[in-house]
Parts: sequence; structure tokens; C-alpha cells
Amino acid sequence: MILYTPLSETDIFPTADNVYTNRKCITYEGKTVFVEKNNNGEYQLVQLLSTDPQDYLNDMYTPGSIIP
Amino acid sequence: MNKDAEKKEDQGEQEEQSGSSSLVQKIQALGQTNIPQAPDSNIHVLSIIGQVEGHIQLPPQNKTTKYEHLLPQLIAIEQNPKIEGVILLLNTVGGDVEAGLALSEMIASLSKPTVSIVLGGGHSIGVPIAVSTDYSFIVPTATMTIHPVRLTGLVIGVPQTFEYLDKMQERVINFVVNHSNIKEEKFKDLMFAKGNLTRDIGTNVLGTDAVDYGLIDEVGGVKEAMAKINEFIDQAKGSGEQEVIQ
Repeated sequence: MILYTPLSETDIFPTADNVYTNRKCITYEGKTVFVEKNNNGEYQLVQLLSTDPQDYLNDMYTPGSIIP
Repeated sequence: MNKDAEKKEDQGEQEEQSGSSSLVQKIQALGQTNIPQAPDSNIHVLSIIGQVEGHIQLPPQNKTTKYEHLLPQLIAIEQNPKIEGVILLLNTVGGDVEAGLALSEMIASLSKPTVSIVLGGGHSIGVPIAVSTDYSFIVPTATMTIHPVRLTGLVIGVPQTFEYLDKMQERVINFVVNHSNIKEEKFKDLMFAKGNLTRDIGTNVLGTDAVDYGLIDEVGGVKEAMAKINEFIDQAKGSGEQEVIQ
């Protein structure tokens, strides 16, 4: 299928709802983090939101780590 | 005795296994194993990356900076006495005008010294955010696209919407002119210039040109920004001490 239209791709193919629901913004040990539920039902850290540069050096908040 | 020894060996093995598995996890996640540790920092970093997300939530494959997350952090920075300065890292393609203006006003009204570095790109609404700090830097390879405010989607009431957009654009121009050394005429010239961008009006300003126009204060990177913010922090401390003496 070839589309030739001024509409944006997301208008034609809406993003599936589960893409939104899998990702959550939670507070984990006082830091705001984005987590994504993986196939095993565990929450995996996607992004850390902090202004303290030292938090980014903390092993606990490295992207990809599993949150217990 | 023997049993104890065996137990200990078992434990040792288990620890080794859990150690290696966390190592594997780290390698899978980051591609590296250990990260250097450093003492607490008195300078905090706010990164504005990807799109500035405002009233409409973008699909998760977009890299976005959500202003509702940054505003409380700015309040926290203002309240925390241990934080003495803020560095703003910008690499943004633009985004929601009102969200961007909200961020810019918040940063401009912080009492603590602020310095921004434009890396890669600080386009559209990234321009007011970049100039909102006390001092702004741009790396030589970074660019800033200045163009008129636009809208996508269904428009109900075209003349009214046009007026609204025109006012919104005026707010952006006023903010940039008030917080940088660029003249209003020059900024509007850049915004409505023809022939610079293919099929569009506006200008893509390179790092050194942005400094020449007075939009950004200086060309520089991390080293210069750190030196500047430390200078500001020392100044703030100095003036504080003087007040006490008087």
C-alpha cells in the first residue's frame, strides 16, 4: 500500500493503547522514574527524571535495571 | 565442619552467580560495567531533550520533555539551599509554545544562577528556553531554527485562530527580545526571512552566527559553562557576605 496524503502517519495509523499503558511514571525511592512493564511482568526502568547529576551515576537508576 | 565449609562454598558460589548476573544485566542495559562515583554536586542539571511536550501526550516512541515534570523540579531547585546553580542542556526540536514559554518563565525567574548550553539544536521554542538563563552558550556546531509559530490539526474559526497565533508569536518574540541582546527588528527579519529554508520561511542560525546576532551570549561548551556558573555562584556568595557586614 502506498499512501499519498497530507495527513500525518499517526492520524492514519493510531498508536495502540497498550503502548501508552505499558509505560508509567512512578516515584521510586523519592526519584521520579519512567518504567515499562516487560514481558515477564517486571517493571524495567526507562528514564530517570532528576536534576541531580549524581543520581545518573547511581547504579540503582541506570536505564534497563529491573525495579523490585 | 565439613558441612559448614560446604555451606560457605555454596554461599560463595551463589554470591558469585548473583554478582555475575547483575553484571550481565548492566552490560545488557548500558554496555558498561562500572560507573564512577563522585561527591554531591552543588550544580544541578536540567536537560531539555527531544520535543517539548505540552497539552497533548505524544506517542511513547517520541523522545519528549514533559513540562509538568520539569516545573516541580525547578521549584525544588529554588527551595533546596544546597543547590547553588543550574545548568540547562538543550537539544530540542521545539514543541508546544505555551509549555516552552512556561519553562522559560520559570527558569528566568529562578533566584539561583543559571547557564544554558545549546547542543546539537535548539529550534523553535528552544530559542526562548535557551535565552531564559542568566548566560547562554552554544557549541559551534549547534543550530537554532527561528521560524513563525505554526499549528497542525483541525482549525475552527480561522480569523480568530489566526489572531490567537499572532498574539502567541508576539509573546515568543517579546520574551526572546527581553532576555537576550538581539534587537526585535533583527529577530523578526530572521523569523520571516525567505530563501534560507527550502519550502519554508525562517532562518537556521549556526552557533557562531547566533552569537553575532546577540541571541546567545557566547560560543562554548561544558568547560566554559562550568567556569561561568562557578563565577556567578562566587559573585552571589560575595554579595551575600557584603550584605551581612553592612
